Amino acid sequence: MIEQIITTTGRKGINIYKGMIDFSDFVKSIFTSFKSLRYLRFRSIYTIIINQTRFTGVDALAIVMIIALLLGGTVIIQALTSLPKFGVEGFLGNILVIIIARELGPLATALIVIARSGSAIATEIAVQKWSREILSMELMGIDTKLYIVFPRIVASILSILGLILIFDIVAFIGGYLISQTVVYIPMDVFGQTLIDSFTFKDIASTFFKSFMFGVTIPLICCYYGLKPNSKFEIPIYVSKAVIRTLFISIIVNIAVSTLFYLV
Amino acid sequence: MDGVILELQNITYRRDTVTLLDNVSFSLAKGDNVTIFGPEGSGLSSLFDIIIRGDANFEGDVLYNGSSIKSLGYFELMNYKKAVGYIHGDYGLMSNLSVEQNISLPLDYHSSMSASEIKKHVGQIIYDLNLDHCRKLRPFDLTRSEILKAAFGRAIAHDPDLLYIEHAFEDQCFLNIKSLIDVLTERSNRPDKSLVMITYYPQNFIDISDEFIMFFNGRIVFTGKKGDFWTSDNPYLVQYRTNSIEGPMIIL
Repeated sequence: MIEQIITTTGRKGINIYKGMIDFSDFVKSIFTSFKSLRYLRFRSIYTIIINQTRFTGVDALAIVMIIALLLGGTVIIQALTSLPKFGVEGFLGNILVIIIARELGPLATALIVIARSGSAIATEIAVQKWSREILSMELMGIDTKLYIVFPRIVASILSILGLILIFDIVAFIGGYLISQTVVYIPMDVFGQTLIDSFTFKDIASTFFKSFMFGVTIPLICCYYGLKPNSKFEIPIYVSKAVIRTLFISIIVNIAVSTLFYLV
Repeated sequence: MDGVILELQNITYRRDTVTLLDNVSFSLAKGDNVTIFGPEGSGLSSLFDIIIRGDANFEGDVLYNGSSIKSLGYFELMNYKKAVGYIHGDYGLMSNLSVEQNISLPLDYHSSMSASEIKKHVGQIIYDLNLDHCRKLRPFDLTRSEILKAAFGRAIAHDPDLLYIEHAFEDQCFLNIKSLIDVLTERSNRPDKSLVMITYYPQNFIDISDEFIMFFNGRIVFTGKKGDFWTSDNPYLVQYRTNSIEGPMIIL
């Protein structure tokens, strides 16, 4: 029994290690491809960046705004009703900035992007590989890492940054309006409290998180999208892409928060 | 060697313990067209691995315009692939791009032509291949012959000196691809353009081929000129030509 547990754990550990090596090789190959960036004509990836930004950013606006409104409302109602009980209602702005701007905004946006675009990227690439479109590109001398991965990273960084900013704004304004149905707080007081609570660190961490999510989400999803060797493996790798990107994004979120606020 | 665009020198290619190509040598002069054929499993797809894909794990050497492609670095290999036109049986058109975008893709990526020059050049290819009616359609909306024509248009967009076509005409109605055959025939008559046609149906390419090479079990079993294809009494060729199971090739 113990032997079996050790064997299973050991095997899983080796598989994780092999996976990490394989992923690092993939990342290295992208850096190698970046050396040929100077040969790349921007016009060939311009459309991909525009389409990907539209899908990841613009098309996701509605769902991001609705979720921001609901989560913002919930947090603000909880804060407005609970803080006075502890006599710390003066920290309302700080609490909202900490919860919404620092953590909830970037993470919730990343989760929405993973669910919508991450799965779409992995599926699209897997299908392209299966139908030998990627092989065709390679045989035309097109560097697929540049043509497929690079535009998606650029589009994701732009989209996620935009979505996080919109999420925060909607969560604060919308949440405030929803909270008015439960408790009354003057708009100018609420606004001033928020402005006073924001620091440069908060803005810098938002930008840094956008960048990190914008890189990791398409990178991991492209990696798994390029993995399937047959049709039946496509859903397996798409599922892996979503779950592992989700896991890595939470770790990235913790790491960036630690870097900015703990160190 | 002057005047030779592609040369395979004593190629032996193994995967695991299986020998896929066994001491294969042939050369293709500039302006010549060769049709390579043979039954399934005879090594035709392995030629793709070493000539086109750039697999370097083989004995011997492959020369393109006199230079070995075996030792090419990452970027040189990209440039080599850019210089060779290639079409495979699955065609591999980008499913999210229209016919026009598919054909202009290699030019958009590599060429120094301006956008208007590319549009004009691609427009001419589309006209020559009789694809005007579907230039804005995506592969999903195309017939098999239109997909082949679009893939062909993409492969010749940058006017490569060597065109490598692998089983792309199988399962096609030749009446529907007449415009393509006309363009291919015209191209095959040019002294600076060469063609490697990999097929199971060599008789369809008698008019455009200068040379025929037959493979079996990873070895070349017949080499001959256009006239030899019908007249040679090579037992392998006779068995293939007559579509018979009786002969030196044991077909499972």
